Amino acid sequence: MNKKWLSVVLMIVGALLLVGGLYLILIPASAEGFLSALPFILIGVGCGALGQGIGDRLQQRKIARSPALAKQQANERNDERNIAIANRAKAKAFDLMVYVFGALLLSFAQFGVSTAATISLTAAYLLVIGYRIFVSVQFDREM
Amino acid sequence: MKNCLETLRKQRGIRQEELADALGISRQTVSSLENGRYNPSILLAFKLSRYFQLPIEEIFFDEEETNRE
Repeated sequence: MNKKWLSVVLMIVGALLLVGGLYLILIPASAEGFLSALPFILIGVGCGALGQGIGDRLQQRKIARSPALAKQQANERNDERNIAIANRAKAKAFDLMVYVFGALLLSFAQFGVSTAATISLTAAYLLVIGYRIFVSVQFDREM
Repeated sequence: MKNCLETLRKQRGIRQEELADALGISRQTVSSLENGRYNPSILLAFKLSRYFQLPIEEIFFDEEETNRE
């Protein structure tokens, strides 16, 4: 699917979710738990998808009218300094995340948050740390 | 790492935007290179070398080595 159709599909899906969410709010229902929050989730996701679709489509139209702008955007996207900045920022954020999540896990354990929540968060934390080691070993072989 | 990119570019009467466009990089990268805030990859250094038709060591030079000489 090309980018034009992807943005159109995103707009249609977003609009449908938004209308569906609004409809569910308007009709009286006796939903409980997750279902009671469903209309608001639909509205949130719908607005996001619709906004993204409209934004993408407007950008595509602007680029189609100006090849110079398209080339400039491609240069910005492929620019090695921009890529290096993005990678360094991600690496810094990951370093911070390791400490923040570690502290959060300790506080979860300390304040008696449910075992299931603590264990699933620990598993997710270890998965990320394990993936980091796996990728490091892979890069070590490749480079 | 120091370089004489700004001098070379001005000698040829090229704007930063034009150089960036020819090399497929952003204008900010050209500016950072000229100010010595960013050291290019070896691939970009070769592109610059080809663009200015000069050897890499005539565009980029090690600051310490230059001071020693």
